[in-house]
Amino acid sequence: MAAGPYNYSYIFKYIIIGDMGVGKSCLLHQFTEKKFMADCPHTIGVEFGTRIIEVSGQKIKLQIWDTAGQERFRAVTRSYYRGAAGALMVYDITRRSTYNHLSSWLTDARNLTNPNTVIFLIGNKSDLDAQRDVTYEEAKAFADENGLTFLECSAKTGENVEDAFLETARKIYQNIQDGSLDLNQADSGVQPKQLPRTTPAGGGDAKQCNC
Amino acid sequence: MAAVAEAPGTGVPLPAQVQANPITKKLNKILDSKIETDQELLDALETVSPFLTENTLQRRRNLRRDLEQRSLETNIRFLNSFRKVRDAVEGVTKDVDEMSKCCEAMTNRLRATKEQTRDLLNQTTSLQNQSKRVEKRAEIVTAFLGAFQLKPEEAKALRGTADGGIDRNFFPALNRVREIHADCKQLLRTSQHAAALEIMEKMAAAHEAAYELLYRWIQRECRLLNVDFVDLNPLLYQAFEAMQERPVLFKYSLDEYNTARRSHVVRAFIDALTRGGPGGVPKPIELLSHDPLRYVGDMLAWVHQAMASERETLQTLLKACKPEVLEEYVLPVLSHITEGLCRPFKVRVEQALSSENQPVALYRLSNLFTFYANTIRASLQEDAALIRSIEELKELTLNMFFSALNSSVQRMLEKIVPPDTDLLPVQGVHQILLMLRDVLESHDAALVTVTDKKENFTRIFATVLDPMLQTLLVSATQLSPLDVAVYMLNCLSSIYSVISLYQYTDDRLEMIKAQMEANEDVLVSEQATAILKRTGMIDLYSKAAAHQPKQGPLSAISGMEAPIISSALGKFDVFLAKPDSYQMQQCSYLTSAKLRASVQKRTIENVLAAYGILYAKLIEPANNYPQLPLKSFDQVRELLV
Ligand SMILES: Nc1nc2c(ncn2[C@@H]2O[C@H](COP(=O)(O)OP(=O)(O)OP(=O)(O)O)[C@@H](O)[C@H]2O)c(=O)[nH]1
Ligand SMILES: [Mg+2]
Repeated sequence: MAAGPYNYSYIFKYIIIGDMGVGKSCLLHQFTEKKFMADCPHTIGVEFGTRIIEVSGQKIKLQIWDTAGQERFRAVTRSYYRGAAGALMVYDITRRSTYNHLSSWLTDARNLTNPNTVIFLIGNKSDLDAQRDVTYEEAKAFADENGLTFLECSAKTGENVEDAFLETARKIYQNIQDGSLDLNQADSGVQPKQLPRTTPAGGGDAKQCNC
Repeated sequence: MAAVAEAPGTGVPLPAQVQANPITKKLNKILDSKIETDQELLDALETVSPFLTENTLQRRRNLRRDLEQRSLETNIRFLNSFRKVRDAVEGVTKDVDEMSKCCEAMTNRLRATKEQTRDLLNQTTSLQNQSKRVEKRAEIVTAFLGAFQLKPEEAKALRGTADGGIDRNFFPALNRVREIHADCKQLLRTSQHAAALEIMEKMAAAHEAAYELLYRWIQRECRLLNVDFVDLNPLLYQAFEAMQERPVLFKYSLDEYNTARRSHVVRAFIDALTRGGPGGVPKPIELLSHDPLRYVGDMLAWVHQAMASERETLQTLLKACKPEVLEEYVLPVLSHITEGLCRPFKVRVEQALSSENQPVALYRLSNLFTFYANTIRASLQEDAALIRSIEELKELTLNMFFSALNSSVQRMLEKIVPPDTDLLPVQGVHQILLMLRDVLESHDAALVTVTDKKENFTRIFATVLDPMLQTLLVSATQLSPLDVAVYMLNCLSSIYSVISLYQYTDDRLEMIKAQMEANEDVLVSEQATAILKRTGMIDLYSKAAAHQPKQGPLSAISGMEAPIISSALGKFDVFLAKPDSYQMQQCSYLTSAKLRASVQKRTIENVLAAYGILYAKLIEPANNYPQLPLKSFDQVRELLV
């Protein structure tokens, strides 16, 4: 039997935030489908995608909520921060205004998620280096100041996209390992696998299916 | 000896010679006989010589007797010897006879035995053949049993584990049962009718029992799914796959799943509402109840996210099923699972709404409901309870919004006073328009569909603008028609400038434009009339316009005489020299410069048209006018335009 989508140890919930047009939906699409959607329409409200990854030998399912960047959707999108284990905050390296708005996005993220939420800064469209409007160094300094991990990515070429999603998961997993993330609480954004069940063919089978 | 015996005999067969002279003959004969060459004689002599040891007369005389004696002895000996031989031969003959008898007996026995053996051989061969047939049959039977009977381990798997569970061998065994049953149908076409029927019956029973067990197991498994995180037992996918064959049991099984998930989702929702995240971060959603928009928004987002998770879980559960089964059941199951959320959700929303009376906030809420009804619609059945609840709440908030809007407008209209002499819109108008703008602003463009939006806008305008315009008219009753027209134009342009900023307002804008044009017409005609009056042209114009050729020349009609005309033309020239000074005071109160210019232009056009009609009559020869100080129509137009 092929490994089913439910043979994993945790579910991590992510949100992707940032100004409109910075490439949030393209990043999600690149990560889940490994394709670039050149003519991606503006997101209405929120969209949803999943993928199973592996961290330290553990299979983890990512549930990713891609929010609309347009201001008029804030009232809706703000409600999706609740209980996110990871937040990918995206700006467009070719448009300074999207970088300037980061502090407002960060405030929202800090206020609306829990303290353990891993916030990852992504400078997207790194393939358009010629039109660069924000230097790597400047963004890196901003990230360091605010305790964020930072990568420049390209949803178009796929450069660093995997790393951004995986690195975020690694940090969340680390938080679980060192106990700073309490899984017994609702809305932690992480759902652990249950204890093995007594049913004979339960968990055991599932493990076999994995190999 | 023979020679001796013959010798005496030689003379016997010749009696004639003997008769003639036996002695001669005898002598001759002796003489003739050549003794030395007669071998027989020689041999005889040789034989006789040993015992004729001495040649005496006696001896010679006795020779014959001796020889005969000897011969006799020899014969006696010979006889004796032969007797022995004869006896021996007789003995041998007897033996041989016996042997022959023996042989014959044996031959007979052999023959008999041979007879007997042939039967045996035949029997053996037939037995051997039989044995071969039996062996083959045994093989066939084994193969048959292999094909048409469950192996012990398969039968065991179908009976389940001791605690009523199943293991991974269950499904292959169930498949075997199914295969055997199908094969039996094939078998029915052959001569093995009875066997086929019997096996089919057995398999049907096994099948039935297996499904019974499977259903009970699914029931039990599903009850365990009443938890936060669902780690589906992979056997469960197979179980549901197998259940597809039994639509009724399949439905019952899904009902079991439904019930478990439904109660879980409700519990999780209540937790999110009342307990929030770890250490209360994020805060329990209920803490936001003072801010209905966020409160409701967070609840709806939670529901939306829970639905996405439930959908995934369900799709995993049914992943081994046929696509049409998924298509058939996913929406109904999700509709059922989310049904439990309706009550806690509705109760809270209604509570939050009870303290809300701000039109803008209510309008935003109704838009939020519209948005989520549209977002969620695709994932649920059309008549799903959750969608119905959201739609109902949307209707409720929309109605509350309109009644709040209406009462706000009424409150503001009560404060509407007649306009000042400047004819500018009064304060109340601005207040109402500000509120209208807030409402229109709050209408998040893409949150609702275009039709919803158009419909709402039409209602909003009807609620706000119609009563306002009515009230304004009433408040201006004491004013002159000219003042009313200016005032209304000022108010209408304010309204126009506000709503023209928004989409889907075309109908209303058209209506406002028409109302403005009507008022503009009033202004233009009032002003044109005033100019014609001041220049004394008004009478001339109306008489000229009414004049018919059959009434005779125009100049002959009273009041249209040449001197009167000349004097009026003089006054008109004064106007032509300074047309702007003839503008009415009220027109300058128009707030819109564009409108002012338009009124001015149209007034001039009206005056010009009146002059044109008069001019045509005055230069008409039939009207018998003398030379008048007349400016041509084109000259006048040049001066005015
Ligand atoms: N060259 C380049 N273009 C990109 C990249 N990522 C996105 N784009 C383009 O940027 C535009 C916007 O991308 P989206 O993913 O729709 O942006 P978004 O952040 O989801 O926008 P909203 O949904 O409105 O918030 C699209 O036309 C993409 O083709 C990238 O890495 N490189
Ligand atoms: Mg998008």
